Amino acid sequence: MPTDPKALAYFAAGIGAGLTIMGGAAGIGRLAAAAMEGIARQPNAAGDIRGAMILAAALIEGVTFFSLIVTILLAIK
Amino acid sequence: MIAAFVLAASLAGQPTPAHEPPPETPHQSVTEHAAEGAPHAAGAAHAAEGHEGPSEILMHHVTDRPLGYSFDLGPVHFEPTRHMLFFVLASAVVLIVVRLAVRSYREGIPTGIGAAVETLVVYVRDEIAEKNIGHDGLKYTPLLLSFFFFILFAALLGLLPFSSTSTGNISVTLGLAIVAFIAMQFAGIAKYGVVHHFTNMIPPGLPTWLLPIIIPVEILGMFSKPFALMIRLFANMLAGHMVITTLLLLIPLMSAIGLVFGVPMIPISLGLALFIMVLEVLVAFIQAYVFTLLTSIFIGMSAHPAH
Repeated sequence: MPTDPKALAYFAAGIGAGLTIMGGAAGIGRLAAAAMEGIARQPNAAGDIRGAMILAAALIEGVTFFSLIVTILLAIK
Repeated sequence: MIAAFVLAASLAGQPTPAHEPPPETPHQSVTEHAAEGAPHAAGAAHAAEGHEGPSEILMHHVTDRPLGYSFDLGPVHFEPTRHMLFFVLASAVVLIVVRLAVRSYREGIPTGIGAAVETLVVYVRDEIAEKNIGHDGLKYTPLLLSFFFFILFAALLGLLPFSSTSTGNISVTLGLAIVAFIAMQFAGIAKYGVVHHFTNMIPPGLPTWLLPIIIPVEILGMFSKPFALMIRLFANMLAGHMVITTLLLLIPLMSAIGLVFGVPMIPISLGLALFIMVLEVLVAFIQAYVFTLLTSIFIGMSAHPAH
C-alpha cells in the first residue's frame, strides 16, 4: 500500500498529541489529588501547598509543551 | 509608601524588556519562514481551488507577518511585523498604566487604577520575590514586576480583535528568557564572585568520581532553565490562539460536508470559542505569575545554593 509521508506525519502528530496529553493529565491529576489531600489534612498549610503545587504543575506543563511543540512541528512541516 | 517606592523602582525597571527583542535575527528567521511558507501554500491543492486549507488559515492566524512597509533608522533597516507592533504596544501600555497608577496616589493612598496595580505589585513583592529569593528579594522585584506586567499585558492585548500576542513569538520569549538567565547568573556572581558562583553548582560532599557526570549535567541544567521558560510561555500563548481558531474553523469544515451540519455548528463553535477566550484571560494571569515565580525561584537557587 503506497503511503504519503505527509499523511504519516499527520498521523504521528495526532497520536503524539494524544499521548502527550495523557501523560500531562496523569501527572497534573496526581499532583492535584495529593495537594488537595494535603490541604484537607492540614488547612493551615494551604498557601504553601498551593504555591508548591503551581510550581510542580508548571514544570510538568513545561515538558508537556516540549513534546507538543514536536507534534506541532510534525503537523506543519 | 514602600509600595510607592517599588512602583517607582518598577518604572525604572520597565524599559528592560523593551530592549530585549534580539533585533535582527528573529525578524529574518520570520521572514524566511514566511518566504518558504508562501510557495508551499501556493503549491497546495487548496490554493488552486481559490481558498486556503484549514492549516494555512491556522498558521496565518498565529504566525508573524510583515505589516507591509519599511523604514531606515540610521544604519538599521526596519521592517515592522505584527508581533513587533504589538510588542511595542504592550510595553507602551505597561508604561502608561504604571504611570497612571503612580499618579493616582492621593496623600499616599492609591485610588482607582493605582489600587489594582498596587495589589499586584505587593503580591509580586511579598509572595513571589521575598518568599523565594529571601531578604534581598527587594533588589530583584523591579525586574520581576517588569516580567509580570509585560507578559500580562501582552497576553491580554492579544485577546482584542485584530490583534496578536507578541509573546506567542518564540523570539520575544527568547529575549525574556535571556534577561532571566542574566539575572540568575548575576544573582550568584554578585553574591559569591565568579569562581565561587560556578563551584556552588556542584553539590557539597560529592564523591570525586561523580564529577565528570555532574558537571555536564549542571551546565545543561543552567541552560535548560531559561530554555524551559522560553518554551513554556511561547507554547501557552500559541496554544490558546490555535485552539480558538480551530474551534471557529469547525464551522466552515462542517458546512463543507453539508449545511445541515454547518448551521447547528455555529452556536456550538462560538460557545466553545468564547469559553476558551475566557480561559485565556485566566491563562494570561497564570502565565505571568508562573514566569515570574519560576524566575524568582531560579534566582533564589543561584543566590542560595545548597550547602
